Amino acid sequence: MLIGTAKHSYRADEALLTTSPQRLWMAILLIALALAPLALDNYWLYLACLVSINVASATGLNILTGFTGLVSIGQAAFMAVGAYTVAVLEARTGLPFLVNLVVGGAVAACVGLVVGLPSLRVKGLYLAIATIAASFILHFVFVNWQSVTNGNSGINVTPASLFGVELTDYVHLYYVFVPITALMVLGAANLFRTRIGRAFIAIRDRDISAEVLGISLLRYKLLSFAVSSFYAGVAGGMWAYFFRVVTPESFPFIYSIFFLAAIIVGGMGTILGGVVGAVFMTLVPELLRFAVEWLTTIFPNAVTALSPIRTIVFGALIIGFLIAEPKGLAEIIQRIRRFFHLWPFRK
Amino acid sequence: MMKFSRRLVLAVSTALTLSLGASLPALSADEIVIAGSLPLTGMFGFAGVGVEAGIQDYVKMINEEGGIAGRQLRFVYEDTAYKVDASVAAFNKLNSQEEIHFYYGDSTGFAKTINPELNRMGSILMAGTSYASELNDPATYPFQFMAGPDYTEMTGILLEYIAKEKPGAKIVLVNSDTEFGRDPIAGTKARAQELGLEIVEEIITPPTAVDVSTEVLKLRRARPDYAIFHGYLLAPIPEFMSQAKQLGLDTKFMGTFWSMDPGSWAKVGDVANGYMGVMPYRYADDEADDAPMLDRIRQMRPDYRSTPYMQGFLTAMLFSEAAKRTLEAGKELNGENLKAALNTIKDFDTGGIIGKPITISGNSIPVGRIYTYNAATQKMDPASDWISLQE
Repeated sequence: MLIGTAKHSYRADEALLTTSPQRLWMAILLIALALAPLALDNYWLYLACLVSINVASATGLNILTGFTGLVSIGQAAFMAVGAYTVAVLEARTGLPFLVNLVVGGAVAACVGLVVGLPSLRVKGLYLAIATIAASFILHFVFVNWQSVTNGNSGINVTPASLFGVELTDYVHLYYVFVPITALMVLGAANLFRTRIGRAFIAIRDRDISAEVLGISLLRYKLLSFAVSSFYAGVAGGMWAYFFRVVTPESFPFIYSIFFLAAIIVGGMGTILGGVVGAVFMTLVPELLRFAVEWLTTIFPNAVTALSPIRTIVFGALIIGFLIAEPKGLAEIIQRIRRFFHLWPFRK
Repeated sequence: MMKFSRRLVLAVSTALTLSLGASLPALSADEIVIAGSLPLTGMFGFAGVGVEAGIQDYVKMINEEGGIAGRQLRFVYEDTAYKVDASVAAFNKLNSQEEIHFYYGDSTGFAKTINPELNRMGSILMAGTSYASELNDPATYPFQFMAGPDYTEMTGILLEYIAKEKPGAKIVLVNSDTEFGRDPIAGTKARAQELGLEIVEEIITPPTAVDVSTEVLKLRRARPDYAIFHGYLLAPIPEFMSQAKQLGLDTKFMGTFWSMDPGSWAKVGDVANGYMGVMPYRYADDEADDAPMLDRIRQMRPDYRSTPYMQGFLTAMLFSEAAKRTLEAGKELNGENLKAALNTIKDFDTGGIIGKPITISGNSIPVGRIYTYNAATQKMDPASDWISLQE
């Protein structure tokens, strides 16, 4: 039982992890992440890398939609910008891959600034439509800017290399992607301890009041788009090194819906929500494969018959979790935490 | 009575999901394993279901005959919903559970994405639903092949037919705005020029276009003898045909493998009558004398067999033949040996699935036949003899 979290300084009050159980669990999580490849086979390592990429991008979208209140359905297009940038840089310049990732993020951020311009006049569904339009324009550019993107055939990406080691095995990619994503999530968490992050939240809660308080909507809305797109760009760059082929069809529109669903299911406006939402959306369809596989021991050829049901179950799980907890999975975790605050004395 | 609280429901559903995460063990090490990423759901769900049935039937047939050199075939697969990341996940999952010898992929995107891994592993021979021209390159894709002609070869077969039927014919190309749709455009134009055929218009549409009146007007201006569609499953071809008929155009409409399923055209009705296209395989209801394998298919599966079924069946046959030749040569079943064995296939009789003996010297089988849809019988009737681009 934790009877109190008395803080004796502003520094302690602003800390990311305020209680010792939090610090303990975070330490356990970090150790588990570091040691996970020792226990995981290639399949699970692949999924871990994919989760890592999706967490980075979902966290970016959470900054924009969850924390700033600007709805975007163009996250996949920003990822594509990052992926193409990385693919072109890798093929033509031979720059180190970490530099490529940062440049990929920067180029996506610049595109995000432009796409974010309508947010100064419209919001809500109107802004969502504007971001959809932007993603279709970008798709057109990817298909038709042949000299750079190689059109529909796309670009093959040579493996990234770090300290002379080619990053082709999932275990190598895991040890690169997971720290990058962890840094990005840490950065996002810290962002909301600064004036910039608080300005984002103020805009979300009431933009007119925020402006009255001296927050420049022009500056901060565009900054939110830029930061979110940077996250998407870096995630897209990791995606390019992961799958090693980038085509206009690599980032379909439905992928943007995936990220929006991830932050809604996880919990908008919380860092934890973006993370658990991306984990849930990526891993649950895979876990349901095992349910189908288990059923094949009872019903032969169950994979064919039950695959459509797997999709329905996945949808039902999303709806079920949202009915049980509209604030998302992050709130469920918070509720569990609150339960243990008083345990074992709570009725 | 037990009370179903919100917390209890959440806990039980989470526990169930997680507890199913434990993987099941593989069955036997002596089997020859065909694995697959199949699109059993999603827009290509019909293809995955057909392919699965085709491979299962051939595997069952071979196993009942005693297997290959005494080794049984086994087919394991996962649904991918036609998504590349899910296909790669299925590939990794199946590889972590099985020692795989053959793999069946579900898309061009997957074939390109997994190629570096296939080359690195060197243990698997792969085929799949894709006939992308890009994959027909043994240097870049040494452990892959396709059980038919690539898309450029398909349109090449159509052009051979057109050049014979109507020399100097005017042609319009209609392609979907996708990698799949744009694939054969350059090759088709080059081959048409060689054959003295004139490409008078190129039309690009969204893959599932509904309103095509602007495109039909282009067609009317061009007044072609033939319109070749590629990159569609069905829509918007019926709409083109319907509007062209209303305008009094006598253009013949043609397509490639993925728009050649008579079961799909049967739902269109009379307007589909006369639609033509290239098929790499005989239809399962073809009762030709030189097609004993089709008799066996009809015995095993009396209900409808789609075109993807035939593709899956032939792919399994070629996998088996490659394995048989490799084992007969006393070699290990790995990607290099299996591909080398596949490339020794010369004048091979497929039991009538393809109407002439086939030779696989590279990554494709550039053979096909032109069929015409008959709305009255709801069947595809042969319109030409078998055309091989190898000759």
